[in-house]
Amino acid sequence: MRPSRAITAKSCIHRRDFLASGAALALVTSGHRSNAQSSKTGTVRVWGEPGPYGGVAVAAMNEWAQKNAPGLKFEIETIPWDGVYVKLMTDLAARRPPGLISVESPIAMQLMAEGLLEPLDDVSQTVGRDRLADKLKWEYFGAWTSKQYIMPAHHQPHLLLVRTDISKELGLSDPDGWSWNDLANAARTITQKKPEMAGICMALGRNLCTDYHFAALLHQAGGRMFDQRNKFEVAFDSPETAEALEFVRELQQFMPKGAVEYSFLQVVDAHVTGKTAMSFYWGRTLGRAAEEAKPIFEATEAFNHARNPRTTRRSNWNDFQGWCIPARNNPFVEEAKQALTYYLKSTPWLVKYCHSLMPNVAPVFKDQAESAELRNHPFYQSKARAVDTYFNTSLEHASSTANELLQGVNPFAGIVHGRSILAQTVQKVVIDKMSPRDAAKWGARELDSVRKENMQLVN
Amino acid sequence: MLIDTGAGRGSPPPLPASRSSARRWFPELSDNTVGLLFIAPFIVTGLFFMVYPVIEAVRMAFFSYNPLRPEVTRYVGLANFQFILSDPLFWDAFLQGTVWTLLSILFQTLLGVSIALLLNRTLPGIAVFRGLLLFPYIVPTVVIALIWRWIFNPEIGVVNYALIATGLVDTPIYWLSTPDMAMASTILLNVWKYTPFVVICVLARLQSVPQELYDAARVDGAGAFRRFLDVTLPQLREVLIVVVVFRTIWTFNKFEEIYLLTKGGPGTSTFNLAVYSFEQSIASLKLGVGAATGVVMMVMLLIGSIVYLRVSGFGREEAGA
Repeated sequence: MRPSRAITAKSCIHRRDFLASGAALALVTSGHRSNAQSSKTGTVRVWGEPGPYGGVAVAAMNEWAQKNAPGLKFEIETIPWDGVYVKLMTDLAARRPPGLISVESPIAMQLMAEGLLEPLDDVSQTVGRDRLADKLKWEYFGAWTSKQYIMPAHHQPHLLLVRTDISKELGLSDPDGWSWNDLANAARTITQKKPEMAGICMALGRNLCTDYHFAALLHQAGGRMFDQRNKFEVAFDSPETAEALEFVRELQQFMPKGAVEYSFLQVVDAHVTGKTAMSFYWGRTLGRAAEEAKPIFEATEAFNHARNPRTTRRSNWNDFQGWCIPARNNPFVEEAKQALTYYLKSTPWLVKYCHSLMPNVAPVFKDQAESAELRNHPFYQSKARAVDTYFNTSLEHASSTANELLQGVNPFAGIVHGRSILAQTVQKVVIDKMSPRDAAKWGARELDSVRKENMQLVN
Repeated sequence: MLIDTGAGRGSPPPLPASRSSARRWFPELSDNTVGLLFIAPFIVTGLFFMVYPVIEAVRMAFFSYNPLRPEVTRYVGLANFQFILSDPLFWDAFLQGTVWTLLSILFQTLLGVSIALLLNRTLPGIAVFRGLLLFPYIVPTVVIALIWRWIFNPEIGVVNYALIATGLVDTPIYWLSTPDMAMASTILLNVWKYTPFVVICVLARLQSVPQELYDAARVDGAGAFRRFLDVTLPQLREVLIVVVVFRTIWTFNKFEEIYLLTKGGPGTSTFNLAVYSFEQSIASLKLGVGAATGVVMMVMLLIGSIVYLRVSGFGREEAGA
């Protein structure tokens, strides 16, 4: 019996060895699978905003594809800012989404709450949840029901741009210390003393840009659209909204007459062509000025917005832009995840992304923000303060319609922007000459219908 | 030497081999069948691209449908119609659309007839003028609208530059920034683009008016204006009725010019029902409401066209004959 037992024992050892080897092989295989070559072929469409930065990220993804999925090609499709909502909604509804989307946070968060996006917790873990830059949180980009749906792409605040040559010539004080009253007085002074230029310019057209410009003023006044802590009840019909609208009405006297139809491009044009001495805008104005109007570039400085005299808030509207992956009808979910991970783990590519349109897209990861290579750009010499304001100090005052006053995700914001409700409210005041109180009531009714029609997003 | 083919003896000549085999596979068809076969592709295309969408739009008008949430589609009866009929913006869009249509048609007709009369002459090089006239009509609307946005730009637009340079105005005109000017600009664009269509139709008719009628009127002592009133206009009547009906339908339904030029703004001052329908369908994702708007537009145009044709007496002469 012994020999046979011995044989049995020996065979047991063999079996154990075999099982252990099998398990090890399985582990190796499963580990390898995450980096395995994809045999899929075709084009992975990537939607991004106009601007070269989306293309930089896609170049990184193609670098991943060359090594891991030779049959795949990532291709950027740019969507104009004003067409983002329509394009996204129609293509998603037509069940032909792209493989990967870089989009503004209000729309990303709407898609997330609609259940149209793939959870990206695994990607965020691999990329490193401790890598986010100071003052940034994962939820700002898009987390819902304890899952991360959006991966950070960049943050992008709009600030107050001032022609310092004009402000100095007219003896105006330092814009960094301004309240709303000081801003209005400065705009008045410029309008009176510089008849060839407007005092200030912001978008007042029925478009996304006006939504974002006005949202900053609303949040500075302490107002908001919805109350996330109270079942998303509409909070827009408030003295704060009326105060912000009243301020817009006051500023309008000092704006170009055409501002009532201005959107993104026209505001930049007004500043870069010297038609206005001050404007609300993202970093692109400085970039355009550097390319087209050197003296205006040299004279322009970016400041955090003027303080609301009552709340002392200097809120900006910050686009916490992120990457998301459509979950339905998307044949490239896994490949998009892998390529996105590859790109987001690469500091050199992340730096290239920021460099591609300085100082429009601010870094979001510590290693990216602290990289010596990031500072290897002419803007860090010529406009160091402006870059620092856009990239860093603006974060103290960050707000967004998708996360009002940073007090919680608001998935209704994308729908609100799709219908241009904030812009229409502003236009009630500046075109229809409605009183700010009545305009706030009108806007609140529209927001309430959005809430009622879409409660399923938050229930 | 003649070859006897059997012709003239009551039997048909033998067919070539290929034709007889074709006849074996394809029996001889009557003229009616051949006619039907010829128009079949157009009928199928029309059914697929025109009739089916109309039926689908009518069906959708009775449903609540958000394309992002197809699982919650439900029948809502007349709720979509109630929504639009109680929406002040719908009525604003209707009124603005009516103003834009009527003024556009009025100016197109007046200008179209005038230009056609000018071109209805035999002058050296007149063919070149006639060809050039088609330019606005053949350029895609999207190109025209985007170019016009720049032309009308208050700060850097060429129109303001020219007006100021020639001293006609002192300060820039804000073409698209006030409700009245924006409406005027959209009408101007529509008139500029579609007047050539009226010119072509009217010119074609003018060229077939018998010269004897003018000669007889001249003999009777009729001056140029009298000849226009008593000879030209009656001859143009039928074509003008058709042109006005078509242009009215097309203009009332027009979407892209307004959307590309003003996006319905400033405010909602240049919204027409097509823009309203688009906003409801795409921006608000209420496809049922957008479809209901389309159905109401269709009914309005149908009634309007029938009334107009009746009042204008279109085809009465032919019926009398």
